[in-house]
Amino acid sequence: MTMIPSLGGLAPLDLLLAGIAVSAVGGFGSLLLRSHDRAATIVAGLAGILAALAGLGAALPSFVAPPSVLDVAGPYPFAHFVLRMDPLAALMVTVISLLALTAWIYSLAYVREYAGRGVGAMGFFMNAFVASMTLTVVADNGFWFLIFFEMMSLASYFLVIFDQNDEAVSAGFLYFVVAHAGSVLIMAAFFILANYAGSLDFAAFRTAKLPGAVSSLVFVLGFLGFGAKAGMIPLHIWLPRAHPAAPSHASALMSGAMIKIGVFGIVKVAVDLLGGGEVLWWGLLVVGFGAVSAVLGVVYALAEHDIKKLLAYHSVENIGIILLGVGVGMIGIASHQPALAVLGLMAGLYHLINHAVFKGLLFLGAGSVIYRLHTKNMDQMGGLARTMPATATCFLIGALSISAIPPLNGFVSEWYTYQSLFAAALDGSALVKFATPIAAMLLALTGALAVMCFVKAYGVIFAGDPRGLRHNDVVEAPPTMIAGMGLLAVVCVVTGLGAPLIAPILSSVASATIGAQAVSVAEGASLFGSANHGTVSPPLIAVLVIGMAGLPLGLRAVLSNRGTPKPRRAAAPWAAGYLPDAEMAASAGSFAQPIRMFFRPLYQVRDDVAAAWDKVAFAFERLVCFARQTEPRWDRSIIDPIASATGSLGRRLQVVQGGDFRIYCLYIVAALVVLLALAAR
Amino acid sequence: MPDLDHFVLAILQSLVLLAAAPLVSGLSRVVRAKMHTRHGPGVLQDYRDLRKLMIRQDICPPAAGPAFRAMPVVMMAALLVIATGIPMVTRFSPLSACGDLITTIYLFALVRFFFALAGLDSGSSFASIGASRELTLGVLVEPVMLLSLIMAALLAGSTDLGAIGAAIASGQVQSIMATVLAAGAFAFAVYIELGKLPYDMAEAEQELQEGPLTEYSGPSLALVKWSMALKQTIVVAWFVGVFLPFGSAVDFSPSGLAIGLLGFVAKIVLIFVVVGVVENSVSRVRFRFTPRHSWFGVGFASLAFVFYLVGL
Repeated sequence: MTMIPSLGGLAPLDLLLAGIAVSAVGGFGSLLLRSHDRAATIVAGLAGILAALAGLGAALPSFVAPPSVLDVAGPYPFAHFVLRMDPLAALMVTVISLLALTAWIYSLAYVREYAGRGVGAMGFFMNAFVASMTLTVVADNGFWFLIFFEMMSLASYFLVIFDQNDEAVSAGFLYFVVAHAGSVLIMAAFFILANYAGSLDFAAFRTAKLPGAVSSLVFVLGFLGFGAKAGMIPLHIWLPRAHPAAPSHASALMSGAMIKIGVFGIVKVAVDLLGGGEVLWWGLLVVGFGAVSAVLGVVYALAEHDIKKLLAYHSVENIGIILLGVGVGMIGIASHQPALAVLGLMAGLYHLINHAVFKGLLFLGAGSVIYRLHTKNMDQMGGLARTMPATATCFLIGALSISAIPPLNGFVSEWYTYQSLFAAALDGSALVKFATPIAAMLLALTGALAVMCFVKAYGVIFAGDPRGLRHNDVVEAPPTMIAGMGLLAVVCVVTGLGAPLIAPILSSVASATIGAQAVSVAEGASLFGSANHGTVSPPLIAVLVIGMAGLPLGLRAVLSNRGTPKPRRAAAPWAAGYLPDAEMAASAGSFAQPIRMFFRPLYQVRDDVAAAWDKVAFAFERLVCFARQTEPRWDRSIIDPIASATGSLGRRLQVVQGGDFRIYCLYIVAALVVLLALAAR
Repeated sequence: MPDLDHFVLAILQSLVLLAAAPLVSGLSRVVRAKMHTRHGPGVLQDYRDLRKLMIRQDICPPAAGPAFRAMPVVMMAALLVIATGIPMVTRFSPLSACGDLITTIYLFALVRFFFALAGLDSGSSFASIGASRELTLGVLVEPVMLLSLIMAALLAGSTDLGAIGAAIASGQVQSIMATVLAAGAFAFAVYIELGKLPYDMAEAEQELQEGPLTEYSGPSLALVKWSMALKQTIVVAWFVGVFLPFGSAVDFSPSGLAIGLLGFVAKIVLIFVVVGVVENSVSRVRFRFTPRHSWFGVGFASLAFVFYLVGL
């Protein structure tokens, strides 16, 4: 076991386990205190915060350290309890812990929304959820990985059905089914690997020699299994229903952290365990699924009125963008271009972190609005920037980040993704040359649609006049909720402007995961993909935009006249002479109407798929109906004749069994005679 | 990090472009007047208009929030930053840290984001329809821009705008047909981005009362009008810098810079005259038919892609 000096001289994994123990105590404490909502909230929240801090303390030093391993002899020979903190796991633990930290801070006020509806149980499931996610990413044994993975799915299932209404229960059931179908595929992949490795330890998986076809089979099983968890299209059906049903801070964790474990699993199986494979189509498959998920995710998001559903569809989109980077990384491994492999995987991992941060922020922001207005329908919001300025500012930062607006973090990781696609297109085989520019174009389409979607989201919720309901009594969200959002908003800015410092660390994580030489991706304040492929400097852009903003302000001050009357507000916007009212303002539906018109075929696809599901359901109904009709038919044609035949046979045999003692004696004599005759022969 | 010469040139070209932008929009008005066979205002009329707006009272609608008030400033600032990175007088990007094709496209998205958001924030129904159309055009145009520029970038081996321009000017690109087709597709996208007839969807004066600009007045309107003129100049300069860099300065020699400047001005004037002629000889496309037109751009860019793949 490698000891890494970290906080208080504890090895990272010891610190991590200590945090998980605190989390367990907090979870059970919250369950015991379930009759006192306030106490349960605080116990669960404080334990969660401590555990998250321990997680960050354990993970941050491990980014650049050699992997540390904790090996406890397991209960069974095949189930060694092995934990491994390698750079990739450190990255995941950081993401989970950071989001958990903000979600717990946020929850201190937010769970009041759920007062009297089992806050204690929520604290328990949240703690279990975070702890099992953390353990999943550090587990280094197939058996324990699956155990923790299942724990994670179960804990989040209970959070999804927390509201107990019809929608939540049916969304939860769908989630349950898809999650377990995915688990079965992952299990199959691990068992095949174990068959060749002779053990369920990941260490043995890494060195196992698999024939090419088997290796591809394991990859496809793992890709589909973890892809279902990640919510990539077409395995996403559960995501837009399950995430909105959960409480907002749980949605933030599910969308920000849990679906990333799906991506982590894909990287783990394809790159870490199978070594990236020797065939190009693995990476191309991942790029293809990524591009489709990105475009369709955002197209479907645009048509949504429900703010949390909109955000959930955006998770599908961003998983697609992450997969683009990961896919290019795998193409790089297969085509023996280590620099490309590191660049692609780095871009994917960077977007993974960024999406966790801004999507967490956006879900928390949506939660604040729902906390005050008690509706998820955007068309009943509007004008909240004046009554909830802090929430609006945080949400705007999140919206700009997710729309990849420079110089925030979403732009940085998408820039690297473009650069990796570009580098792949420059020196790839014909198929790669063909696929990657198309993927880049689809990424541009995704970016433009995302801008539209978040202008709509921010605009309809926070800008203009209140729509639908009048809510003049709405006040700003409580301080702890703002603190949670504010922390993530700051991280959005830092991971954007601080990219020249962060990208090299992520590059080393990617190179350590692939087992390749580190690649230089930043110098001074500039970022670059490969040498001479173009540069960008987010801090410089930020300085320039802020500096240049002085010019219009100065021009306005200098050129306007002293005699000009002071600015004033008009009585109403101009409406071609009519009296304007709230019905005239843009709604979530009307704003996206042109896209719904222009992209009708894509929505048609979704409707067709839904119709196909309905057909399946209908066919199932027919089957049940048929079975019901068939049952009596079996009765009539087989059971009934047999029964009646038996009856009539019995009645005929009654002749023999007449009840006369003398005839019975005669039978015995006859039998004796027959037996004697047989014996004498 | 750029050295001082480059940095000064970057800031300078951005400021000069801002100062000259009303001249360019004035030129368009002169061409329009000529096409209508009327006298029309002089080429300096837009400066006078801006001056007049600047001393008027600023009136904003009751619903307007921070997004509405911030937009004129953010829009101009972002456009000025875009202008620092585009190669105009020189063959290289003066500030390559802002002169990457991806960065430029996404900085335009920053402009679009706030422009449309301000439309929604004004609470006016005309402004929100304009905002929706502005973003829809972005959706239709950005993929064409990216694909055509990526084709040129692949031929040049770099996503830096200056490097692409240099490769095209020196004839290093192998595939002539692909370059020409990519230039055609990009020109088409740039034309839509100009917001002129037949594609003046978002700010259509006659139809939408200038869309997102409906509720602006006084100094704010002056800033937005100025920014829109600047944006038109920048997108044309963008096209010139990447696909028509011939004659631009390869270093900082005074004669080279002078020739580069003259060439740049001549190209911009020529293009705007051509654009003016086109603009005044067509009628507006119905908004719902725009995708058919943008498919044309996608087709052009895809053809460039095919030519690139086969290496023609």
